[in-house]
Amino acid sequence: MDKTILIVEDQDDLRLLVRLSLKSLGRVLLASSAAQGLAMVRAEKPDLVTLDVWLGNGDSGLDVCRAIKADPATSHVKVLLLSACGQQSDVEAGLDAGADHYMIKPFSPQGLGEAAAALLAAA
Amino acid sequence: MPQEEAHRLQVLLDLNILDTAHEERFDRITRMAARLFDVPVALVSLIDADRQWFKSRVGVTMDTTDRANSFCTHTILQAGVMVVEDACRDERFAASPFVTEAGVRFYAGHPLAAPDGSRIGTVCILDRSPRALDDAQRTLLRDLAGMVSNEIAASELRRRHQQRQENDAWVHGLLSHIPDGVLMLDSSGTVLCANPAAEQMFGTRAGAGALAGRAAASLLGEDAALLFAPSHRADAPPQEGGGRRIDGTVFPLEVQVAPMDMDGQQRYAVIVRDVTRQHDLTLRGRATEERRRKHFTTATHELRTPMASILGFSELLLKRDFDPATSRELLDIIHRQASRLVDLINQLLDLARIEAGGIEGLAIAPVDVAELVRQTLSGLNGLQQGHRIRVELDDGLPMVAADASKLQQALTNIVSNSIKYSSEGSLIDIGASSLRHDGRPMVAIRVADRGIGMTADQQARIFDAFYRAGESQDVQGSGLGMTIFKEIIELHGGHADIVSQPGAGTTVTVWLPAEASHG
Repeated sequence: MDKTILIVEDQDDLRLLVRLSLKSLGRVLLASSAAQGLAMVRAEKPDLVTLDVWLGNGDSGLDVCRAIKADPATSHVKVLLLSACGQQSDVEAGLDAGADHYMIKPFSPQGLGEAAAALLAAA
Repeated sequence: MPQEEAHRLQVLLDLNILDTAHEERFDRITRMAARLFDVPVALVSLIDADRQWFKSRVGVTMDTTDRANSFCTHTILQAGVMVVEDACRDERFAASPFVTEAGVRFYAGHPLAAPDGSRIGTVCILDRSPRALDDAQRTLLRDLAGMVSNEIAASELRRRHQQRQENDAWVHGLLSHIPDGVLMLDSSGTVLCANPAAEQMFGTRAGAGALAGRAAASLLGEDAALLFAPSHRADAPPQEGGGRRIDGTVFPLEVQVAPMDMDGQQRYAVIVRDVTRQHDLTLRGRATEERRRKHFTTATHELRTPMASILGFSELLLKRDFDPATSRELLDIIHRQASRLVDLINQLLDLARIEAGGIEGLAIAPVDVAELVRQTLSGLNGLQQGHRIRVELDDGLPMVAADASKLQQALTNIVSNSIKYSSEGSLIDIGASSLRHDGRPMVAIRVADRGIGMTADQQARIFDAFYRAGESQDVQGSGLGMTIFKEIIELHGGHADIVSQPGAGTTVTVWLPAEASHG
């Protein structure tokens, strides 16, 4: 069965970059805000969500991640955090929020593809 | 010198009587002695290390003679009256110049006792012919010596009293004027007395003694009890705690306690210091530190974001085959994000330079505002997209003392914002006028656009580093322009007002102090 991946990213360029990095892995959906992303997770139940941490308007991807993991209907969805916050404490905060993987920007598209494939294989 | 003699000399020195003026209270005693004994010479003689000095004298004109071979030197070696009936027949003195040259034949003297009993000198009588002294006369001489000793003791007492008063005045003056609060507590921790600084610190009226009788724990907090424990060392560093004024308000305080013994009673000397100011400074320092940390985190985030596009898209282009149109699109993104990165780095360096340089970093010279506006607009030529810019400058504008290039940078930042956040072809007004503001002559430079405007919330955050109103991706910018603008204006002693309405436009007014010579 084809896998579904949701990309939540407020920056147009980066949304495109992530889409190009992952499109060979399955069906790719796009969201550009926290609210839109969370609504699509609930509606589409994707296998994997790549989630930006600073989503603009002060919204945090960590909150979206916690909401996904707290809801039994979506807690099985794999979450890959993609963030330009690269300190050890940022990574720990991401994993504490329930993320399955934390990747720091800038990232290698190939590396992102491999990490996403590993998460999908485990899903 | 025998130890006893050394002590005797020290006592004499400490009395501060040697080489003082003649005094009637001593002179009346020597006059009385001369008359009572019917002798030509009567002396109050003080025996210094190598001389005898006469505090009072009848019948001689010199104030001092050699101590060697003197009669009095012998008198002070024994307790009672010493009588030399005929010096020519006394082998101790027969060859003395007092006898052979001055013609002294008779001497009778009695030691003078200092308050501690040391024999510091004599009362003596001398005659040119041999004589004898009966018991009644010996008693009389002893009584006269007693009177002189009393006078010496009296002056010593007066001197000590005066010294104590001076000491007290000194201590009182010191305690009244030092900014630290000083309290004395009894052994139960009750305040016995306090200096004015302490009274003021705890909110009682200085000099009213309002702290006396209060429990120290009610002022210094219960923690202060530890300071009175026997294990507390007097040389321990000051301890921080919470002070409580008598109106119940609290303040941060530093307290130091030293146990002391006062006439056998256990007392505590307590020094208290109001450290509100130091605390405020520490808090402000922490806030600055927190702001720096946040700024660093945000700056890192902002730098990594364009880098993600540059690195990611270039990797895709290197590893995959795209059609020419897509390749071009991706290269365009790389180029745009690389430009953004360069812009960001330049702005960050600029901000750091301005912050680090402070006022010293400015090249201040008289700046003509009209010229400043002209330069700013010519520098912006490439950015204008059909915007109409209307400039209205008052005549006779005063010069401003400023760094022309920095000020141009600040002005460029707000004019370019007006261009970026208003539609093509819309009008931007730039005006300058000379006004009094807060009672000072100022120059006001106004930039008004008819652009998208800002909400109150956006206005409140406009000077935050990396904040971009609406975070609109379609408008280029680092989010540092307004931060740099504010930094520059404030370094020049000026400030900025922003009036904005969403949909109606934004007006930024920059206030700069006019140069005094023109104001």
